[in-house]
Amino acid sequence: MEATTLIARPSLLRRIFSTDHRTIARQYFFLSLFAVVVGVCLSLLMRFHLVWPREKVAWFEAIWSVRAEGGIMTEELYLSLMTLHGTIMVFFVLTLAPLNAFANLVLPEQLGGKEMAFPRMNMLSFWITVASFLTLLSACVFDEGGPIAGWTAYPPLSAVGAVSGPGEGLGQTLWFVSIGIFCIASLLSAMNIISTVIECRRPGMSLMQMPLTSWNWFVTSILSVLSFPVLLAAGLLILLDRLAGTSFFVPGDLLIAEQHSPHAGGSPLLWQHLFWFFGHPEVYIAILPGMGIVSHIISNFSRRAPFSYRACVWAPVAIAFLGMLVWGHHMFISGISPYSAMTFSLITMSIGAPSAVLVLNWLGTAYQAVKLEFTTAMLFCMGFVSLFVTGGLTGLFLGQPEIDAYFHDTAFVVAHFHMIMGMAALFAVFAATFYWFPLMFGRMLDERLGKLHFYLTFIGAYALFLPMHFAGFAGNPRRYADFTNFDFFQAGMPLQRWITVTAFAMGAVQLIFIGNLFRSIFSGAKAGANPWNGPTLEWNADAEIADRGPYEYPDAGADAN
Amino acid sequence: MPTLTEPSIGAPPPIVPSPPRGYGGGDHNDNTGDSKAAASATTVRIAVYIGMCASTMTFAALASAMVVRRGLNPMDWHKLPVPPLLWWNTAALVLSSVVLAMAGRAFRAGLRPRLRILWFTGTALGTWFLIGQAINWKFLADQGFYLRENPASAFFYVLTWAHAAHVIGAIAGLYYVTWCLLARPFAPLNRNVLEVSVIFWHFLDVMWLFLMAIFAFWS
Repeated sequence: MEATTLIARPSLLRRIFSTDHRTIARQYFFLSLFAVVVGVCLSLLMRFHLVWPREKVAWFEAIWSVRAEGGIMTEELYLSLMTLHGTIMVFFVLTLAPLNAFANLVLPEQLGGKEMAFPRMNMLSFWITVASFLTLLSACVFDEGGPIAGWTAYPPLSAVGAVSGPGEGLGQTLWFVSIGIFCIASLLSAMNIISTVIECRRPGMSLMQMPLTSWNWFVTSILSVLSFPVLLAAGLLILLDRLAGTSFFVPGDLLIAEQHSPHAGGSPLLWQHLFWFFGHPEVYIAILPGMGIVSHIISNFSRRAPFSYRACVWAPVAIAFLGMLVWGHHMFISGISPYSAMTFSLITMSIGAPSAVLVLNWLGTAYQAVKLEFTTAMLFCMGFVSLFVTGGLTGLFLGQPEIDAYFHDTAFVVAHFHMIMGMAALFAVFAATFYWFPLMFGRMLDERLGKLHFYLTFIGAYALFLPMHFAGFAGNPRRYADFTNFDFFQAGMPLQRWITVTAFAMGAVQLIFIGNLFRSIFSGAKAGANPWNGPTLEWNADAEIADRGPYEYPDAGADAN
Repeated sequence: MPTLTEPSIGAPPPIVPSPPRGYGGGDHNDNTGDSKAAASATTVRIAVYIGMCASTMTFAALASAMVVRRGLNPMDWHKLPVPPLLWWNTAALVLSSVVLAMAGRAFRAGLRPRLRILWFTGTALGTWFLIGQAINWKFLADQGFYLRENPASAFFYVLTWAHAAHVIGAIAGLYYVTWCLLARPFAPLNRNVLEVSVIFWHFLDVMWLFLMAIFAFWS
């Protein structure tokens, strides 16, 4: 009997609770995939309700017997869908997929190692994330349905308990518990990534020889360590307000549903400060890994080193640093001092500088390409650049207190962050999926289906979110469940219907990706060892790295900077 | 005589030849689905430093919230009496930190009997601190200072609970080393626990002095 046959196949339990970084990467990937499917379905239901609020749908009642009695969605149900959509997309899709899934997949090999610094902690952080996700879903099952306070959970609505509305009892409490658990999981994961980068690099590999993806995961993890504890602390305080009757965030003399609130002296503004001290860096936690992925893939398919490797390293560092200082721009109309607003505004505007450096680098790399290859991954990167520029430019409007006074809480804000934080970050995830699929499953994704998916999604992203900006210009507020009650909004209803129809079309287009993904997992073309001729160590485990940059292409003769 | 040999901070791990592997998307390290490589002492220490950064941010957020909450509405802020035992507790914690630092030195010098005495003393002082905190909470409750009574007492409880939660985790490490010193041969893993327990205990000591300064002179 040969020796190899003596090695027993691991039990199912050991494979599920694996400490192998690639297995954990796949687990994160599929968790994010499930979360994004749920999140998109929720958004489609919301869009449906916005334009056909009194339409009877029989299965609504079958699912939500109380909140959709007679098959008509209530406004509270709309708000709970909105809360769940925002929470799932921000935490379980945009935080997990670009960072945890792909960093776990390739970070150790990119650094010339074999495994993350703490494999068991890696496994633990994934399963804590699962616990957090299940807790979040359970928030919508118990009580009178899901919480309705939105993903920002502003008090007093979120802090006074069931009296403030259906779903604000146990549902909202479970929401906070879920987010607390997620914070712990993210901290463990960040700790692991930082330790891996500092300590598990191959001998001879300096920090400035790391691929740009590794750099961005490293910087993102530092942001996580600095921002998630603040959300954890704020969550603890608000839970005490809810459960123990303290008054950290709830002011006095509140009359809610004809009941006098027992709280006194708290400040909702304090929550906003703490929340956005986490919340704004969270935006960069979502987008910085995407920047690294795009820098990396554009370089690969341009067959040359990034236009300036150093600029691609330091620009995200600058963005992360400045991103920690701009939380106040979410509170321009919350009553902060005009001097503070001006300071926050100036710092916000300054983020445009390193962002522009990155955009010029991406374009410069492609412009000076030795050989430009428009693979699906490359197309999604180009799409990312486009969406990043568009979303970034609309951010300049919102970063100015005078203009934000008009745009705040309108559809313009929704369009802005969906463009830059939603679509751009997802384009990076699509690019990464096409690029590293061979490492994930040993096969190739279908390029023709991929390109079809890209073109339709790219057109769809603009068709969906560009008109949403116009809705914001017209004064359509966000978080309104029903526009039909107001004459003022009637002129904008055709636009709203267009957005809804486009959203459903975009949802349908994503089925191409899902189909391509599962078909390729089982019957895609077998991948070679290095199908993209990538220069970094996840493709070339035994390559020498001494005295060479991470993006030296032997056939290009380009400098590694 | 046990000695501690560690790579310096920043030193990379030794080169391990890569086993032949296909790009099948399977488990990367072996076919058991597990990675068995133990983290080096330096790696563990780095992780503890990162954890300390995260804890510092948590306490900074809570302390900032305290400052802002008092500034926004000073009218309902009623000063809390500092329980006398809190000072003794502070002394016990500082002393435990000193004793554990001496224990760490004894460990590095290979002085096993001295290490045992110092470690048990430090652990006992740490345990006393935790018990003393519980007595302090009861003392304040008996005086009528409950969690919801006024924001000053609410923040006192929250900050001391958060600190105690950290202390419980650290004490678990101290007791683990105590158990190892009493019952088992000193394995390499335990050295990691000993080193990082001492580092984390010092951190909690400094954090407590910061909190104590707030309670005694500001709050």
